[in-house]
Amino acid sequence: MERKNAGSYQSHPEFLVSRVKEGDREAFMKLVGLYQQKIFVLTYSMVREREDALDLVQETFLRLYEKINTYRPGENFSAWLMKIARNICIDFIRKQKARRKESLDSLSPDRIDLADSGQDPARFNPGEIIQKAVSRLPAKQQAVFVLHHYQDLKYEEIAGELKISAGTVKSLHYKAVRKLRKMLARQLGGEQ
Amino acid sequence: MNKCRDYRSDWLAFLRGELEADRRQVMKEHLNRCSCCQKELRAIKNFISQTDNFHNELKETMAGIDWDKLQLTITGRAFEQKARREDPRPATGFKLGRWQPVAAGLIAGLLLGAFFTFLWMRSGRLDESGARKESGISLPAGFVQRVDLALAQRQTIDYLDRSQFLLLELVQSKTANQASSFLTQDKVQKLLTEKKYLNSQLNEIKLAKAKMLCDQIEMLFLELVQLSPQMSDAELENLREIIESRQLLLKINLVKKELQQGEA
Repeated sequence: MERKNAGSYQSHPEFLVSRVKEGDREAFMKLVGLYQQKIFVLTYSMVREREDALDLVQETFLRLYEKINTYRPGENFSAWLMKIARNICIDFIRKQKARRKESLDSLSPDRIDLADSGQDPARFNPGEIIQKAVSRLPAKQQAVFVLHHYQDLKYEEIAGELKISAGTVKSLHYKAVRKLRKMLARQLGGEQ
Repeated sequence: MNKCRDYRSDWLAFLRGELEADRRQVMKEHLNRCSCCQKELRAIKNFISQTDNFHNELKETMAGIDWDKLQLTITGRAFEQKARREDPRPATGFKLGRWQPVAAGLIAGLLLGAFFTFLWMRSGRLDESGARKESGISLPAGFVQRVDLALAQRQTIDYLDRSQFLLLELVQSKTANQASSFLTQDKVQKLLTEKKYLNSQLNEIKLAKAKMLCDQIEMLFLELVQLSPQMSDAELENLREIIESRQLLLKINLVKKELQQGEA
């Protein structure tokens, strides 16, 4: 039992981070193993391209390693890492938009333009449009939505992950869905 | 309507099975009575089913990824970066980054410029000190001067030799006819032409004695050229007198000797 406790302590993010700060390669590898899939869910839900999402996962961990000394013990590591990943994704999307010479002004947070997805009804993909809308949610709402819908975490688990109450998770989830339905009212139509 | 608003924020939790049993029961009862909330629930269900499509796609995508390999790759890259940052190569003082080729080009340009400026200034100084502009070869000024002097001396001695030979023939000829047969206009003319080329060197190199003597010989040759091809005995006698009175043959010997000593 003691050994089990010791083992779980040794795979606790706080402990691993403290080891990484001392240059422990194994500890960093464990951290990557713990979070790489969660980060992938976030990056993939934002960029919708497998290879891009994988690159962004790598980029996130490289940034984490660079900034590891700025992490303060006691801070919510998972949320901190998610924030790094989200910022990297936003930079990536901005660069892509700039490459396509599209104005960032067209990214109204409350409306999703079909121009992005093509006006051709044959190419209309509701899942893709929803993902674009998800990527434009406020950070906490986005985290709750992604963790709940794509990682199948219960409210209680999300609360533990993000270090907030279950009630707050429920409220954030409701706000996220309400916002998404508002954004997508025109595109998805019907009883949205 | 007010009641519906109280339920609205819980329909998601209701659908996802995240409500406590009591609350779930209360909502169920309300749903049976309220068509407005039934409509709202259908809309949420419809929306959630759309996200489920993506969930399936995500699961499929994630199943095709080698997570162990990714874990190793990320760790490897992170520690490689760290090793590069800690590389103890001597610092250059400033980071050039992608401007490095430009900086290298500028430095090379400056070095080449400095080199050509040095060559240009050096050749300018040689010109000032008397080096030949047309030589095309950069040599020390003193060396060029010495070579010029040696060449001028050699040419003067040569000129004096041939002049002396002609004058001796003139002095030793027994008759005017004998002198005329030997002293052809061509030979004299050739020596006069040679003297013209010699003049510039004699002026520049300042061979004063040699110049004076060569001038006297030239005067004599000019007189000779004026004479008819068949000179008379009187004319021959007159020339002999000039040669002897001016001691041309003796002076030639002396100047030649002096020049030869200078060469040595």
